[in-house]
Amino acid sequence: MSDFLQVIQNNFPAFLSGFWVTCQLVAISFVVALVVGTVVASLRLAPLKPLNWLGATYVEAFRNVPLLVLLFISFAGFARGGFPVPPLAAATGSLGLYTAAYVAEAIRSGVFAIGKGQIDAAQSLGLTFRRTLRKIILPQAFRTVIPPLGNLTIAMIKNSAIVGASLVTIRPDLLKTARIIQNNTFKTTETFFWAGMGYLVLTLTATLVVRYLERRLVIRR
Amino acid sequence: MGEQQSDGRLVEVERVRKSFGSQVVLDDVDLTIARGEAVVVAGPSGSGKSTLLRCINGLESIDSGDIRFDGDSIPKAGKHIYRLRAHMGMVFQSFNLFPHKTVIDNIALGPIEVKGMPRQGAKDKAKELLELVGIGEKAEAYPADLSGGQQQRVAIARALAMEPKLMLFDEPTSALDPEMIREVLDVMRDLARQGMTMVVVTHEMGFAREVCDRIAFIDHGRIVEEGPPEEFFKNAQSERAREFVDKILHH
Repeated sequence: MSDFLQVIQNNFPAFLSGFWVTCQLVAISFVVALVVGTVVASLRLAPLKPLNWLGATYVEAFRNVPLLVLLFISFAGFARGGFPVPPLAAATGSLGLYTAAYVAEAIRSGVFAIGKGQIDAAQSLGLTFRRTLRKIILPQAFRTVIPPLGNLTIAMIKNSAIVGASLVTIRPDLLKTARIIQNNTFKTTETFFWAGMGYLVLTLTATLVVRYLERRLVIRR
Repeated sequence: MGEQQSDGRLVEVERVRKSFGSQVVLDDVDLTIARGEAVVVAGPSGSGKSTLLRCINGLESIDSGDIRFDGDSIPKAGKHIYRLRAHMGMVFQSFNLFPHKTVIDNIALGPIEVKGMPRQGAKDKAKELLELVGIGEKAEAYPADLSGGQQQRVAIARALAMEPKLMLFDEPTSALDPEMIREVLDVMRDLARQGMTMVVVTHEMGFAREVCDRIAFIDHGRIVEEGPPEEFFKNAQSERAREFVDKILHH
């Protein structure tokens, strides 16, 4: 027991810094995932076949390639090809674009949950497809997909550890920090226990936020 | 464009055909609606009544023939269709109010988004319309707080907010409990009396008899018979229409 306390006491600033980097990773990737995911979902729903294909291709490409492969390509691969991507951009880009594929699918299923009657009603008022999407479909779809989006956010928080396990040279995130401390102290279980606790704080916070949003924004039908 | 060319006719449906897959839903349909006229489209379920209405509004595209609204052909897609739709109001069987918006925002949405009306002006007008359909006190409620009859009256107000030249009603009372049908029909009757051009798909033959100028009876995708309601109920020409009248009146 004292070993557990000792590890956190001796390395608290490092853990805190790692925790903070993970927070940043997650926050930036979340925005990327949400924005790109929404755009891709819109492409898949647009009344134009080529746009549908474009959206579908995106989803299949990013959903079916391991995140670690994306990290290697965006960080090491591009640099070797003469297009160096800043490490933080490579990390958040990979994590965000990867998650965006799932977000797009979640939003799309949320759109399907909205009755066709909603679209009929909006169109019959003379709203264009884009306005129908912006004013009627997406606001309802987002509310319906808050729970699945919550799950995806939690998955993304955990997936962010892959950045720390890879060779992308950003400031050490929570996992990388744990790896460094473990290397110095050989207290493997104790060190990763605290890393785990850090992720738990983030995922539980996400869960609480989702519950709150669900209560606030639920649509009664 | 518009009024000069089309004299008294607001809607002209000409030789319209429409199929879903191998099923022919509209088979050579002709129908003309004059300005200020209230026409009931009647017929057994699955006869193509609703599809006809949705084609007039451009929610379904036709396979061949032509539908003109105020002199303009309804296009299959493109910008023009949105402009035409803005001049037609449609009321659906299942109300289709926007559940994430308050009653007043449901009504003000069209004028704000489509006509570019200032927010406050649109809301003031929405409030007036809400009074007109008899539920002024529900402005800030959400659709889920209202009864079916109230929801349908909001839906009518929402369509009226666009100041349409034509109102299309697709079985507006079929999803309502019997005691709420009256309140919706009353609103519709007032509209007809004020000279609104309306096409109403309905099974409410009492309404048809009392309010409409003409009944178009449709069966298997064809308009079998057209005429004034009294004529239609007392001595329908076709066997099918007689059967239909018989079933509906003695049911």
